[in-house]
Amino acid sequence: MRARSAFFAGMGSAAIIAIGWQAGVGTLVSALPESQASASGTSNSASSATTSNSSTSTTDTSAAAPAATTAPVASGPADGTYDGSVVNTRFGTVQVQAVISGGKITDVIAVKLTDADRKSIAISQQVAPMVRSEVLTAQSAHVANISGGTYTTQAYLQSLQSALDAAGFTG
Amino acid sequence: MTSTAPLPTKAATRRNNVATQRETQIKKRYTARLRRGDLLETIVYFSVAIVLALFLADGGATYFLSLKDVTTGIGIVTGLVGSDLMLIMLILAARIPVIDRTFGHDKALAVHRKLGKPVLYLILAHMFLLMVGYGIAQGLNPIAEAIDMIVNQQDMSIAFIATGLLIAVVVTSLVIVRRKLSYEFWYIVHLLSYGAILLALPHQFTQGMMFAEGTWARWYWMALYVGALASITIFRVIIPVASSLRHDLRVSSVDIEAPGVVSVTMTGRDINALRAQGGQFFTWRFWAPNMWWDAHPYSLSAHPDGRSLRITVRDLGKGSARLLSLKPGTRVSFEGPYGIFTDASRTTKKAVFVGAGIGITPIRAILESSDLDPLEATVILRGSDAQDVYLWQETYDLCVEKSASLRVLVGHRPKGVNTWLSAEAYSKGESLLTLAPQIKNSDLYICGPTPWTDLVVRDAKRLGLHDHQIHAERFDF
Repeated sequence: MRARSAFFAGMGSAAIIAIGWQAGVGTLVSALPESQASASGTSNSASSATTSNSSTSTTDTSAAAPAATTAPVASGPADGTYDGSVVNTRFGTVQVQAVISGGKITDVIAVKLTDADRKSIAISQQVAPMVRSEVLTAQSAHVANISGGTYTTQAYLQSLQSALDAAGFTG
Repeated sequence: MTSTAPLPTKAATRRNNVATQRETQIKKRYTARLRRGDLLETIVYFSVAIVLALFLADGGATYFLSLKDVTTGIGIVTGLVGSDLMLIMLILAARIPVIDRTFGHDKALAVHRKLGKPVLYLILAHMFLLMVGYGIAQGLNPIAEAIDMIVNQQDMSIAFIATGLLIAVVVTSLVIVRRKLSYEFWYIVHLLSYGAILLALPHQFTQGMMFAEGTWARWYWMALYVGALASITIFRVIIPVASSLRHDLRVSSVDIEAPGVVSVTMTGRDINALRAQGGQFFTWRFWAPNMWWDAHPYSLSAHPDGRSLRITVRDLGKGSARLLSLKPGTRVSFEGPYGIFTDASRTTKKAVFVGAGIGITPIRAILESSDLDPLEATVILRGSDAQDVYLWQETYDLCVEKSASLRVLVGHRPKGVNTWLSAEAYSKGESLLTLAPQIKNSDLYICGPTPWTDLVVRDAKRLGLHDHQIHAERFDF
């Protein structure tokens, strides 16, 4: 291979890889353990009117949500637990419940996750908490995909959206 | 009377113009071939880059955020790059015309062979790293994880079988180089690589999320596989069969050239349409009892004159020994013509042709097919005795016709010296440069047994010839 061609082949390959990197950078940001980064990076929930006057976004995702909101709830979704629809995927069915309290999503409970095989179970166990913390931060079902768990993520969010719709939650 | 004086100079200028035109033409063709080669090579690099890009676009970088996922991440990458290169191997073995015209089919196969071991290592790394990586994720040891994959996971049992087949294919290919296996056995085992590819295919679409339904990557990946397998089917099955039927080759005569050496002449329809050149080879299959299941590559030993094709073969293997018993009228099917041991690889006007033993026969053919002006070619023939300089009379006649210099070196090599020359030539102080004084600005074509050819190449490189000037066709006995 002549030097000039080798240079072009090298640069071209680098460019292709860079494009791939750029395309995947969103998932990278959202997969960072502390989801603070994703709030700026990928959360594309256009209106976050409910969170405008209460800045305590839940950062402690593992424990029970503090739900220490003192903001007056004028109108909006009633408090309660709403069932999402059952979504079928190739790796099993997915269903979640949304817990609404004080006009906010305070918790998402997985009723059933993909369990077609052991790897799917492993994936669900890994992916579900990530998606949940994303959702609680963004206060919407519009969050980035978690790589390696596309099916679980999408089904989870689809089921959640139906639960939010049932609650009349608009974010 | 004065008007006759300028005439010779006019003729001389015309001759010179024609000569420079030819030089420019050869250079142009050579540059075009280089460009094609660079383009094809670039495609290979890009194919690897695209697979890595798809992995990253799917968020593959997230595997490298935590230590426990790194194993899985590397495991996926090795699998992707490994299967991409395996498809490249398929394409290199598919006899695709543009690859043959650019690099020559033998060079393509040499690269194919070079890739074999690295690809196997990548696939094995893929398997072991994921056994470990998924094992960590599920709290299982790697062996338990492998068993779990085989028992519980879609398409994984056949993927493990595919790896086993791949190991068999690579191992037999490494062993056959050491000539411990029969060619037929190797060939049968080698066919298993298609099985390996097909068995490994499903898990790539069902296990990973990268090529999941509804992704662009899925279509790209499928297209790669379809393309590679289609090119094999088209260029290794359909076209050879169609070409064999169209040209309807039959043996017309079998002539003994020397003890144990026969020329087989074949005639057929539309031979010109084959566009075969002296120096090219075909893979031949003679439809006679005991011969039809075996296909052998033999070079042409004469320029195809539009009516007939001729090969000249020494009874080295059992296949060639049987050629003696061929009856005129026997049907012949073939794949080819292949190779750029022809004018297609010329980089300049002058040429030096060096052949030894049965390697003289392609040299004789390329000399006949080559575009050469008088005094532009030098031919050097080697044989351990006078009888071993096959087709020597024909070659001599061609040299006379083309005004080429001819040197014949007969006799065994000197004892204890690593040289391609005969003892006599060596003691006289002959060398490539004394035998072919124009060699430094010539193309050098060499054909003979591998160790002997390597020695000629070594001497040529010592003289300062560039790789692109040296065209070697090695014979393995």
